[in-house]
This record gives sequence, C-alpha cells and structure tokens, in this order.
Amino acid sequence: MMEYLLILPIFIPLIAGLLAVVEINHKNYIREAISLLAVAANLIVTYALFDKKYAFSIPWAGFGMDISLRIYHFSAFILLASAAVAALIALYSIMFMNGREKNNYFYLYFMLTLSFTNGAVLAENLILMLFFWEGLLAVLLGFIAIGGKGSFKTALKAFVIIGVSDLCLMFGIALTYSLCGTLNMSEVTLPMTFMGGVAFISLMLGAISKAGSMPFHSWIPDAANDAPLPFMALIPAALEKFLGIYFLSRICLDMYKIEHGSPLSITVMTIGAITILAAVMMALIQKDYKKLLSYHAISQVGYMVLGIGTAVPVGIVGGIFHMLNHVLYKSCLFLTGGSVERQAGTTDLSKLGGLGKKMPVTFGCFLVAALSISGVPPFNGFFSKELVYDGALESGTVFYIAAVCGSFLTAASFLKLGHAAFLGKEQPVFSKLKEAPLLMLIPMLTLAGLCILFGVYNPLPLHTLIQPILGARLEGHDFAGLPTNLFLVIATVAVLALAVINHIWGYRRTGSAIKAVDHIHYAPLLHGLYDRAERKFFDPYDVGLKLVNILALSAWRIDRAIDYFYTKIVVGFTQAASGSIKACHTGSHATYIVWTVVGLSCMIYYVAFR
Amino acid sequence: MTLLLIIFFLAAVLIINLPPKAFFKKIAFWLALFLLLLQLVFVFLPRSLWTGLNTLCSSNNFSMVQDSLSMVMLLSIAIVGLVALLVAKAHIKSENKLFNFVCLLLLCCIGMNGMVVVTDLFTLYLFLEIVAAAVYIMIVFEKNQNAYEGAFKYFILSAIATTLMLAGVGLTLSTVGALSFTALQIYFANTAQISAGATIGVLLFMAGLFIKSGLVPFHGWLPDAYQAAPNPVSILLAGIVTKSSGVYALVRLGMLGVLVPESLKTLLLAFGAATILIGALAALWQKDFKRMLAYSSISQVGYIVLSLGAGTLLGYAGAIFHMFNHAILKSLLFVNSAAVESRTGTRDMDAMGGFAAKMPWTGATSVIGALSISGIPPFSGFWSKLVIVIALWKAGLHYYAAFAILASLLTLSYMLYMQRKVFFGKLIEGYDDLREAGFLYILPSVILALITIGLGIGFPFIVGTMLMPVAIFNW
Repeated sequence: MMEYLLILPIFIPLIAGLLAVVEINHKNYIREAISLLAVAANLIVTYALFDKKYAFSIPWAGFGMDISLRIYHFSAFILLASAAVAALIALYSIMFMNGREKNNYFYLYFMLTLSFTNGAVLAENLILMLFFWEGLLAVLLGFIAIGGKGSFKTALKAFVIIGVSDLCLMFGIALTYSLCGTLNMSEVTLPMTFMGGVAFISLMLGAISKAGSMPFHSWIPDAANDAPLPFMALIPAALEKFLGIYFLSRICLDMYKIEHGSPLSITVMTIGAITILAAVMMALIQKDYKKLLSYHAISQVGYMVLGIGTAVPVGIVGGIFHMLNHVLYKSCLFLTGGSVERQAGTTDLSKLGGLGKKMPVTFGCFLVAALSISGVPPFNGFFSKELVYDGALESGTVFYIAAVCGSFLTAASFLKLGHAAFLGKEQPVFSKLKEAPLLMLIPMLTLAGLCILFGVYNPLPLHTLIQPILGARLEGHDFAGLPTNLFLVIATVAVLALAVINHIWGYRRTGSAIKAVDHIHYAPLLHGLYDRAERKFFDPYDVGLKLVNILALSAWRIDRAIDYFYTKIVVGFTQAASGSIKACHTGSHATYIVWTVVGLSCMIYYVAFR
Repeated sequence: MTLLLIIFFLAAVLIINLPPKAFFKKIAFWLALFLLLLQLVFVFLPRSLWTGLNTLCSSNNFSMVQDSLSMVMLLSIAIVGLVALLVAKAHIKSENKLFNFVCLLLLCCIGMNGMVVVTDLFTLYLFLEIVAAAVYIMIVFEKNQNAYEGAFKYFILSAIATTLMLAGVGLTLSTVGALSFTALQIYFANTAQISAGATIGVLLFMAGLFIKSGLVPFHGWLPDAYQAAPNPVSILLAGIVTKSSGVYALVRLGMLGVLVPESLKTLLLAFGAATILIGALAALWQKDFKRMLAYSSISQVGYIVLSLGAGTLLGYAGAIFHMFNHAILKSLLFVNSAAVESRTGTRDMDAMGGFAAKMPWTGATSVIGALSISGIPPFSGFWSKLVIVIALWKAGLHYYAAFAILASLLTLSYMLYMQRKVFFGKLIEGYDDLREAGFLYILPSVILALITIGLGIGFPFIVGTMLMPVAIFNW
C-alpha cells in the first residue's frame, strides 16, 4: 500500500493550485497560506520518500500505456531538490507578488508546475511522462502570459519553441516503442543501430530543450523581461534544469548506453560547448540585470550537457552536480534580481549603482552566488566545473578550451554586473532605498548558504545525492573532496585572474563598469556577429518565423489559385454542364423517345458487336 | 403467408367498393392503414412462423419467395405506403377523392407486393403492369394540364418498356426453355452455354427495367411525372414505385447470376455512372423543389445500379441498403416539400427562405435527410454509400469508386443549395405568420428521420445481422 504514497507529490500541489485560483479575495492571505502549506507538505512528503524504493503500475490505455510511477534514488533526489527550491521561492513570492494583478493565477500555475514536474520525474511510463511534460508546456504559456503587457507574445514564442522540441520528444518516444516494444523507462534499451541513434537524438533534443539548451533557448531572455520574476527563479533556473538534465541522464545512463568518444557523444558535447560559448557571449553584453542572468541560465546548461555528453563517470557526476549547483546559485541570483527590482524599481544596469551599501544582505547573497557561478574556489560551482573540465579534457582539448573560455566570459560578465549594480557611484534617486523584507531575504540566504556548504563540504551532496545514481558505472571512483588534477586548478585560477585583469583594464579604459567589456563587444569580427545577434539574426524562432512567413505567402498564393480554380473554373464548368443538360430536357415526349431509342441502340450495339 | 399480403389487399379493394358505399368510404382510410401496419408487423415476424404459415397458403404452381431481399422490399413498401397514406389524408380534402386514392394505393400495393415475391419473370411482368396501371391514374389525380402531360409521358415510355420486356421474356423463354428464377439461375450458372439469344433477351428485359427505373437516357418521363403528380403520389413514386418496379428486378436478376456476362456488367456500370452524373448536374440550380428532388432521385438510382455493376455480394448488399435508404430519405424529403407546399402553396425555391425559423420540425428533418442522402456520417446514407464505394474498390473498379466519392459532392451541393434556399437564412418577407405544417406531415418526417439516424448509429450492429445476410442468396 505504501507505494500509492507516490501520488501525493502530484496531487498535493494540484489541489492546492485549484484551491488557490478560486480564492479571489485580495486582502487576506488565504491563497498564500494554501500554497505555503502545499509546498511544505510536498517537502515533507518528498523527504519521507527520499530513501524509499516504491513502484506501482495500473493498466490504463493499453498498447504499453500504463499509469506507472517509480521512485528510486535519482528521482527521489530530484523530487526533494525541486521541493526545496519550490518551497523557498514560494516563500519569496509572498512578498514579491503581493498586491499584483492575477495573483491567484500565479499560484495556480506555480502549483501546477510543481505538480507536473513531480509527475514527470516520478513517471516510469514514457507516455505518462509525456503527459506531464506537455502539461508543463501548457502551464508555461499561462505562466508567462500573466506577466503583463506584451508578455503574451513571449508566452506564445516559448510555447512554439518548446512545442517543437516536444514534438521531437514525442517522435523519439514513438520510435522507442517501435524499437523496444516497451514504454517503461527502466526496461527500455535502445539498440546501438542507426534507428536507435535517431531515437536517442530525438529524446535528447526533447530533454536538453527542456533544460534550456541551444537551439531551443531563445524564449528565456524574452521571458526574463516579461514574466513575473519568481517564474524565472522557479522554472528556467530550477525546475526545468532538474527535469531536463534528469531526463538527459536517464537517457544517457539507462536507455542508451552512450559510449565515450562515439559520434553521438561528440554531438552532445558539441551542443553543450556551443551553448556555453554562444550564450555567455550574449550575456556579456547585456545591460539588464535579469536578462544577463537569463543568458547565463542558458550558458550553464552547456556545462551540464557537456559533462553528461562525455560519457565518462567524472563528466557525468560533474554534469549532475553542476545541475544542482546551478539551481542553487541561479535561483539565488534571480531572487537578488527580484529584490533589486522590487526595491529600486528597475533592473536596468545603467540606472543602478552603489546598491551594495543600501542592500548589504542582498549584495552578500549576490556575491556568494556570483562567485559560485564563476567557479571561484571554494564555492560549489568550482568543484562541479572542475569535474566537467576533467571529463572534457579526457574527450578532447577543444571542448576543454570552450569550457574554460566560457568560464572566463562568465566571470567577466559577473564582474561587470556586480560592479555596475552594487558598487560604483550611488545614484541620488536611491538615497532612501531600503533592504528587501525578511521574507525575501530568507530564501536568498538559504540558497547562498547551501552554495557555500556544497562547496566547502562537497562530500555531502556527492556521496548522498549524486554518486549513487551512477552505481556500478562509477567504477569505484570517488570525486568528493579537493580536485585531484592540479593542472586544471591552476588553469582555472589563472583564467579567473585574467578575467579580473580584463575587467580592471576595461574599466580604466572607459571609466564605466557597464562598458568594461566594450573592447570585446566592439572587437573586429565580433562586432558584426553581435550586431546580427542583437537583431535576432540567430534566433531560431525569428528565423523560423521568417521562413514560415515566406511559406505562408506562397501557400496563400497557391491557395488563391486553387480558390480561383474551384470558384470560377469548376463552378463555371458545372453551371455550363448543368445548363446544357437542362436545356436538353425540353419536355417533348418525342425527344425522350428518341433518347430511349438511342440508349437502347447503344446497349444492343455494345453487347452484340463488341 | 406472403400470398396473404396480396390476398388481403385484393380483398380490401373489392370489399370497399361493395355497398353500402357510404360506410366503406368512411373506413377505407383506416382499413388501408391497418393493412399496411399489418404488413409492417408481418415483416418482423419470426422466420419459423413464416414457414409454418407458408405451407398453409402456398400452392404448387404459384410459389413465393421470402428471402431477405423480398423482406426488405416488403418493409420499404409498408413504410412508404404508410407515409403516402398519412400525407394523402392531410393533402386530399374531399372524402371521395381520398377514397379513390386509397383504392389506387391498395391496388398499387398489390402489384408491388406481388412483384417482390413472385418467382418467375413473366408473373413479375404481370404485377408490374398492375402497378403501372394504378400509377397512371394516380398521376392524373388532379386532372390538370401538367398532370395529363406527365402521365402521358410515363404512359408512352412505359409502353416502350413493356414491349421491350415482353420481347425479352419471349426471347429468354425460347432459348432457356423456362422463366422461373430457379431455371434461370441454373442456366446462367454455366457461363459456357449462354447463347446470344438469352443474352439479348436479358438485355431487352434490362432495357425495359432501365426505363422503369429512370436511368439516363431513359429517364425523360421521370421529372415530369414526379413533378406533376400530387404530393402523396410523388412520395409513393419516388420512394417505392420506381424502385420496386425497376430496380428491384435488376437486383433480383443480378443476384440470380443472370447478369454475369461481362458486357452486361459494363453496361450497368456505364449507365449507372452516367445516371449519377447527369441526374446530379440537372438537379443543381433547379427552381422547383419537387423537380430538384426528382432529378436527385435519378442520381441516387444511379448509385444503386453502379453498385450492382460491381457484381459482388458486397455490391448487392450496398445496392439493397442504398435502395432502402433511398426509400426512407426520398420519402422524407418529399414529405418536407409537401409540408412546405401545404403552408405556402408554392414549390418555387426562389420564393422561399428562412422557413426553418417558422417550421422547425420540417427544417430539422430536412437537414437530416439532406445530410444523410449526401453521405455524411453518422446517418445511414453514409454507410450505404461507403459500402458501395468499398464494393466497387474491392471489385477492382477503382475509377468507379473514385467517381462515386466525387459524385457525392454533387449530391451534397444540390442538397445544400436546397437547404439554403428554403430553410436557412433570414425569413423572407410575407411569411411572418407561417406556421409549422400539420401533424400528419410532421409525424412521418420525424419517424423517417429517426429511422435514418437509428440505422446510421446502429450500423455496426446491423451490418453483420441484417445487411450482409441480405446479399447471401439462399432459396
């Protein structure tokens, strides 16, 4: 009977969300209380389920489609982590969202997202997983759309992009079923044939696009502008990373035995490397707090994909560890962004400055998270990046160089961000600025604390959460503790030092923190690329839209021609035929007798003389 | 037992013409109603009862068939007869005239019942003449110029048809040596010995049936006769008379295996296809409601003949099913046109519009009938056309199958044209006090609409139990 407890993580948030949306009174805090209770209950349930191994299956639609849920250490870890992050962000949202319009829809979508994420993680059957996966897509549309003016367009963009990638996933699942004859994830073993590779690529595209990797990324920066901020901290920064990387690891570890150095491994690593570099290049030149962070949310996925794509234990452990770390620091960073937005009223870096003195706690949290994301020892990001570097170096120097370049640019862009927002000259408009309220500080502090804890004492996450996932594939390694490869550490520190020197040089040159990276922005060759990127030249969505427009225009032309054919030519022909037939019916019986005779003659002729 | 259906009707005709005439004039309608209902009940009696009663009333030299095809025909005759009778009650005001109509209707039923149960070609011809004689008079019921013209055309072309059929019967008799269905079946089963005389005999008989069923180019009489006849007679004509006197005999010959020579099958296909196309094209943009329905009738008969041309069991099943559907649907639409005419006094579709608002029952049943006959699921017309298309496809006649599908677009277009003109849209001026037609119009149309819906939805259940066994010839 205990295995039926698995439906609780799905139904608790679901019911809470439905209750929250019907509670429309703005004054009292019933809605907030409901959602807090739900996330707390969810956290307790997932904690209780943490070291359990339950599974159950109820027959449903036939053809291998069953309602089957399963929990084991990997899904339990993802469940617990997302429950924790969701609880913190729910706490944060109480103050942040207070008094906003469509507040009740915010909580509905929040809870539905949590419910569907839990469902997708727990689902053992691929079709059931697809159900929750698509449910997330539907919720995503609504979640972004409540952001305000212009947000619906962004919501639609996200919907279309994720919808396309979900089609890949759907195709992959169909192919998997036809290849393996089963839809149960733990029973699927894709053959190492061409079709097996195609299935792998399709499933992999679905997974990495959920995580926000290129080429399905371009909605995230737009959403940063339009969607409510807790959305960014919850979904692109946390839950989607968990879900996407969880599924990617399941594919790579369980469903398809991807081999080190195989073409598929190289493909995945290439996608990761390109994602790291291209997104961080864009992040570097952003002039908006949230938008800069959103590009990092894309770029960091690259490390996880790269790490898992290496198919060596050190890389996979690094990728999954990086996922956990990324959720901690990126959520924390978004939440600091939310504090700045709420207190200062803007996230435009050119208007901010000197906030550090007014908002010391926020600044502190930002500092910890920024150091983590830049990979500065001894914060958590450092350790996971070292593991990824190790795996990348084993697979090819070019991937390692890409990863290190990404690290350099990450550090540079966070130097710019921190300098421009929290240091520098204090703007006169912010003289009466206060620190964010306590309810918003607690989540940030918790996340920042975890960043430090998971760095300083990294055996905790590695031993309890991550290494058990690999099990036998670990081959007896233990990656906890200090990095073993001294060369990598020295290289990392050197690159970070280079980034600091670069920032100082750029700042001296231009006298402004925002312009500190202008020498990269306006470097020859890069300038042109940046220009085009700013005009959304490389956005697959916009390129696709243009293509679709051309297609639509030609389809419209063809449609006119077909229309003309039907409304003019066919109708005219029919009218003419109909008219002449009617004209033949003169009503004279003599004519009709003649017809009869002619018809009869034809019959006799045909039968007799054929 | 089947003989009883003829004897009862004959007795009824004789009795109601006996004195005291005043009394019988009053009960004539109810008697006919009773007899037709009786026939309806008879059809649904269990088979064992049939055979039991059969030994009582059949004689050796006048044998009867009661296979499924005959049952379907008897059922259609009963339904359409009832509908025509009810509409006649509403349409014909004078008691005298109603009495005359009932007499003719009973006579007509004798002929039709006889035709569908006899077992030889010549007796079939005899009953056919009884039907024709009754119908000539029914068409001229109103004794105006148009009626005489319509009846005259029917009469002339029927005369040609009977000549051809008699000639065909004679030729067949001289070559085959017998006219009973059994003998024909045995003779034509051995394809090697079929002589040219027998083929030509069958051909001539078939040509006569073509005229009777109104196939293009033998259809000249049909639109005029349908249009000129009074409304109840139009229902009878379109619903059942042409079907039982022409199409039934074709189906029967087909199922006997008489139409085996490839050339005859090709003729059926070619004339069927031509009939579908030309009938539908002529129905497009007609101004007169009943004339449009008449051309539509021609076109639908084309489907039945086309299906026969497939020459397979499935083809026969499709033909029979479509014949039944057509009996139901065309009666329904003719009842609707009669209902509209009873309130507005016109059949000119240009002078109509938006009547559905004032005549909801008529409008709704008309939509159902139109959609069903155009082959729109889930109505029964869809299934019969589907069976026809599948039968043609399975017989290797892919072009004819494609043609049948495309031609149903034409059906849909003229039916929707009618709907748009008469029932849809805004109510035109001058009809503000239009009322729903009388109960005697509504009742049959609702029942017919329910039949087509029921058959359509219940098709998966009837396909194995009723439809396919119809085509398996067992006697």
